[in-house]
Amino acid sequence: MDLEKLRETAAEVVAREDVKYLIGWKNGSYGYRVAPAFIEDAEGAAELIFSPLCISNLSTYLTLVEKLPLPRGQEPDTRKIALMVKGCDSRAVTQLLVEKGIERDGVVVIGCPCPGMIDYDLLAEKYPETEGLSEVKWTDDGFLVIRDGEETNVTRDELLAEKCRLCRYPNPLISDIMLGEPVETWEPAEDKGVEEVDKKDVNGRWAYWEEQFSNCIRCYSCRNVCPLCYCQDCILDRLNPTWVNRAVNFSENTAFNIARAFHLAGRCIECGECERVCPANIPLGRLNRKMAREVRDKYGFEPGLDPEAEPFQASYKPDDPEDFIL
Amino acid sequence: MSAMLLNKEKWPDFVGKLTGKQLWAPQIKDEQLRFAPVAEGEEPALDYKNTRVPPKNVVFPQTETLFRFQVDGEEVDEPKLDEEVVLLGVRPCDARSMVIVDKLFSWDYDDPYYARRRELVTMVGLACSEPGLNCFCPSVGGGPASTEGLDLLMVDLGENYLLEAITEKGEALINETKELLEETRDANLEQKEKVINEAAQKIKRSIDPEGIPVGLPGLWEDSLWQRVSASCLGCGTCTFLCPTCHCFDIQDETEGFESRRCRTWDSCMFEEYTLHTSGHNPRPSRLERTRNRINHKYNYYVDKFDVIACVGCGRCINLCPVNIDIVEILKQVKEAL
Repeated sequence: MDLEKLRETAAEVVAREDVKYLIGWKNGSYGYRVAPAFIEDAEGAAELIFSPLCISNLSTYLTLVEKLPLPRGQEPDTRKIALMVKGCDSRAVTQLLVEKGIERDGVVVIGCPCPGMIDYDLLAEKYPETEGLSEVKWTDDGFLVIRDGEETNVTRDELLAEKCRLCRYPNPLISDIMLGEPVETWEPAEDKGVEEVDKKDVNGRWAYWEEQFSNCIRCYSCRNVCPLCYCQDCILDRLNPTWVNRAVNFSENTAFNIARAFHLAGRCIECGECERVCPANIPLGRLNRKMAREVRDKYGFEPGLDPEAEPFQASYKPDDPEDFIL
Repeated sequence: MSAMLLNKEKWPDFVGKLTGKQLWAPQIKDEQLRFAPVAEGEEPALDYKNTRVPPKNVVFPQTETLFRFQVDGEEVDEPKLDEEVVLLGVRPCDARSMVIVDKLFSWDYDDPYYARRRELVTMVGLACSEPGLNCFCPSVGGGPASTEGLDLLMVDLGENYLLEAITEKGEALINETKELLEETRDANLEQKEKVINEAAQKIKRSIDPEGIPVGLPGLWEDSLWQRVSASCLGCGTCTFLCPTCHCFDIQDETEGFESRRCRTWDSCMFEEYTLHTSGHNPRPSRLERTRNRINHKYNYYVDKFDVIACVGCGRCINLCPVNIDIVEILKQVKEAL
């Protein structure tokens, strides 16, 4: 993507009277880090980037914004929020529209066709992070890593993030402004992660998840980063009644993780943020992709594709399969 | 206090000697490095920078049963705390964090659970020879071979570990394992100095905290808090992984007629943390919570206990999902002063 074009467009968008700010990506504080940027003027727009390191899904900020009570007489700020999205991120925006979590008039969606993102852990393992800012660019067949002035060409296969290997929608499905030409889609890889768990028997699966959930420290970063976990009153925070105890043990951790997986069934758009941010390395993507696969195979439904769709969990068809009912 | 040499070939025997007590050390489990009890025959992983979750869990468990009781019953059953624990391979920053947290737990009230666990733990430290990218311990009063909080310090000298007793507990440990140890020579001590100096040179990040504690109150309404908190997700990663964060919640949890009172880690980054019964929340948004996290570490704690409640381990920087970087925040604080 042409960065000049991106920054120019962003500057135009934030100059609009009906736009409050723009959420995009900027260089982080060191190494390969990229940070969310909240841009209000042309100066800020000049910091924006779009690179193979922009893996995070910024659409979570649309619902994360705090609506505090206003002082008497003060009108709420109803200006739009502009947001940069990749293909996967755009599905979150669409799903939020389906659920009426946001209003179409409230957002300016800036689409960024995405050739695929880098897995940070793989990158840092092979090419250790240094204290200076590094840059990564797309090349015809992979990535160019520029670290401390040293350039290394890396194949796409070596560093591509798992969610991008599995991706079927690299181009934004909804946008007001599209930056650049659509990228060519690729054959999604087989989901080896889900298959690895799937081929275990029921006891094996239970043992697998028991081990994983036992590592959970209940920091709730998966919930908070998730663009579709936006309940104002989350079951996990409730104290009266306490649906999920504060104790951190296998039982409560499982209650939490399974509750989240169920609440996301037919809603998760597979952006992989939960797994990326988990400090306990729990392969949450496997859980959520398994649910997504079930919904797709059984009900032919995929969330985040059509803003006019009925929400999956709130819709019923007489011929819905019900073979799971004992 | 004595200093001895342990040849690395005798390392398994040394570990074997300690397994009579409960031994906790860094280990790789589920592809993740963490402090965990070492079973017989298991080897600790010492070639590491820092565990993701600090070993504070050993003295301040994430979930601790204070006592058990029956609904409608009269008897209260308190778990006994009498098992000695050896924490092996703890990094100097993590050991120092416990000395800092001690001040809070013995302040206006001696916390019996914490105090008892602290008594029962022997801390065997391992000086850092390869500090991590986000380590900044010297900036906040520590160092790659700081001995604060340690009973025994190990320094990796290549073929040998240099073992230095810091306290009576450490001295006792050296006596228990004496048959495996050799006398040190002057050259070893020189080598130690070299290793430590080299490690200190490798630490790249720094912040001069001078002026921050007294300056923070004046920045209460500064626009910097809006800037640094805008991207915060409000998760508990920074606080749960922080070795000095010590906030907890206490709840009664009941299953059938069995109840227990337990305390669990809590996080000031959670909305619920300061939520009043009335529904009012004095820290209503992530801005106030971020400001509190920095103020607690670099202002309130200094005011009360004369020490910064941050050991510069870099965990919150390493693992923040959105690159909120405490060194950068502190730099902005300094600029705004």
